[in-house]
Amino acid sequence: MIPLEYILLLSAMLFTVGLVGVLTRKHAIIVLISVEIMLNAANLNFIAFWRYNPSPDLHMGTMFSLFAIAVAGAEVTVGLALVIAIYRHYQTLDTEALNRLKE
Amino acid sequence: MTIIFIILSITALTGAISAIFLKNLIYAVYSLLLLFVAIAGIFLMLMAEFLAVVQILVYLGAIGILVLFGVMMTRNISGASSERILSRGWFFGLVISVLMLFGVLIPGLAFSELSSSPAVETITPSVKEIGIQLMHLNTPALWLTAVLLTAALIGAVVVAVPRNYSSKLFLTYKLENKNKSSK
Amino acid sequence: MSFDNPDQILVELSRLIVGYFADAPYLSFLVGVLLSSVPLIAIFPGCFAFTTWLERKGLARIQNRYGPNRVGPFGLFQPIADGIKMLMKEDIVPTRSDKWGHLLAPIFIMIPAMMGLAFLPLARNMTAVAIDSGLLFFFAIGSLATLAVFLAGWASRNKYSLLGGMRAVAQMVSYEMPLILSAVVVVMMVGSMNTSLIVEAQQYKPWVESDNPLFQCLGQIRGWFVFTPWGFAGFLIFFVASLAETNRSPFDIPEADSEIIAGHMTEYSGFKYALFFISEYVSAFAIIGIGVTLFLGGWNGPNIRPPWSDDPQAYLIPGFVWFFAKMFFLMCVMIWIRGTMPRLRVDQLMGFAWKFLLPLAFINIFVAGFYYYAPWYYGWPVSIGVLWTSYRFLSRVNQDKRIVRKRTYKFA
Repeated sequence: MIPLEYILLLSAMLFTVGLVGVLTRKHAIIVLISVEIMLNAANLNFIAFWRYNPSPDLHMGTMFSLFAIAVAGAEVTVGLALVIAIYRHYQTLDTEALNRLKE
Repeated sequence: MTIIFIILSITALTGAISAIFLKNLIYAVYSLLLLFVAIAGIFLMLMAEFLAVVQILVYLGAIGILVLFGVMMTRNISGASSERILSRGWFFGLVISVLMLFGVLIPGLAFSELSSSPAVETITPSVKEIGIQLMHLNTPALWLTAVLLTAALIGAVVVAVPRNYSSKLFLTYKLENKNKSSK
Repeated sequence: MSFDNPDQILVELSRLIVGYFADAPYLSFLVGVLLSSVPLIAIFPGCFAFTTWLERKGLARIQNRYGPNRVGPFGLFQPIADGIKMLMKEDIVPTRSDKWGHLLAPIFIMIPAMMGLAFLPLARNMTAVAIDSGLLFFFAIGSLATLAVFLAGWASRNKYSLLGGMRAVAQMVSYEMPLILSAVVVVMMVGSMNTSLIVEAQQYKPWVESDNPLFQCLGQIRGWFVFTPWGFAGFLIFFVASLAETNRSPFDIPEADSEIIAGHMTEYSGFKYALFFISEYVSAFAIIGIGVTLFLGGWNGPNIRPPWSDDPQAYLIPGFVWFFAKMFFLMCVMIWIRGTMPRLRVDQLMGFAWKFLLPLAFINIFVAGFYYYAPWYYGWPVSIGVLWTSYRFLSRVNQDKRIVRKRTYKFA
């Protein structure tokens, strides 16, 4: 069986990749995608800890991940609706160009 | 076992990294899907069979399609963009993330005591068990999720539908916009 | 090893072969995997070849033609000739197309089509992947085809392809809902998503295990879910939705030849086109197979115990014979529908999914819940009444109110 560290390391790396995406890319949809990657990394952690804990028949990790997936679905729905609304209003999805409040 | 895991994790990391750094948005979305598939595979390895199914059903079947539609609705069809893709402060973002990885996550991993093998050797995957758990202990969360999803649905429709909604939805809106900009 | 049960001969044979490699655990695992997957990959494309012939013949009869009749007896070898033609055709890639997407789309579309087959219970103990959430897995994998279709439509850089791809995605996403919701009814009744258990639940045990051959025959039929009110409604919803899900006529607007040439397949030629074609038929087979499993009793059929055996699970006719018979029957119904129904408009198609099938599927779920708890003399009439009333009501509500002028033919 795989040691728990490997899985946690993978999820840490995935989380970092998602963070890099959020912090360095400027396209709104890519930022949304990066958030998805981070959520996936978190789910992976939940499942890993659930698999390695002494009482997996309580399914707590599965429950957490299920609800996280549901929330991720809701988040993407609203996020894409916002993206489309922003695009219609400003004709761009460049997060740097969306600085109406600043000016 | 470990070999399969390593292959899957390399796939996942490749998918994630190319999803972030590809210029072509459609390619980015498809490599994101690669990541989702690899994660589903790891779920299967960890005997979370039901969750792997949900991952495929929700992430690939629903979220992937949704993001693709979002890309199609906001960009020109070709999907490629020639301008620079990184934001102005990208260097600081990169530094912060790398610090996060090497300063917080990996030390956290290194200094904690983790079991190297699962406490329970085999789990018989059972959807029934998950259903019972969902209906007994987690019912309030289930209700809240239902409310949340409904709210998200309504909210998405309200946000995405143009303010001056009419039967000719998009065309009239575009025309008005053009008039405004010509003035 | 015992080979006295004709139903289990293939299973015993594969056990024998796997047992031969028992010393090497990895090798025996590999052999087991190959033995359960290679036949699927071999048989279903074979079925596809036969079905193309069947479809062309059937359509020809419906349209008062002969159909293929040159290659072999009754034109039976026409699929082979077609296959050779497809293989030897030039593979044309449009200059402006997206090279990678154009190459990968036909490969991607084969994956869900072939994977879906793994969850079909062809006979007792003959499910390639018998897992606890098999049904859900099937639907999850079936939803992946949309991604490949979208990729094909987008990568071709052709307006027809793009329109076809978008139409296909919209259609498949909306018809997935009634499809899954009509299957939910069966899951509620059986209490499991394991496809093998669903088939087992459709046997009427006291009759199957009796000694009377007639009762043994009937006991394997009377438990089919299609013979209950909710099962019948669910089967109809499932079948209509599966027609749309596999882009079969009358829901074939994504590849409507008279409007958008061939939809997402417009820019494909040679073997890539053949892959799209194969995957379409194989996924049609898979979804029909699930329909058979859910509502038509899977491998149950009029079957008796062999005279030399007293094992209640032994059958004279192997289960997969019945399974494939039912599958081909449904395929023939599909061909019949294709030959006789006009194609729907896009708005009609969407309205049908969201305003008719979806509410009906929801009502069906409630009816099934009622049926489960009510005694039969109460459950049957009420379920039939509710379903019939809601069917009438929904069709009344969805009726096109515009007065359509009666068509007059000038030149005919």
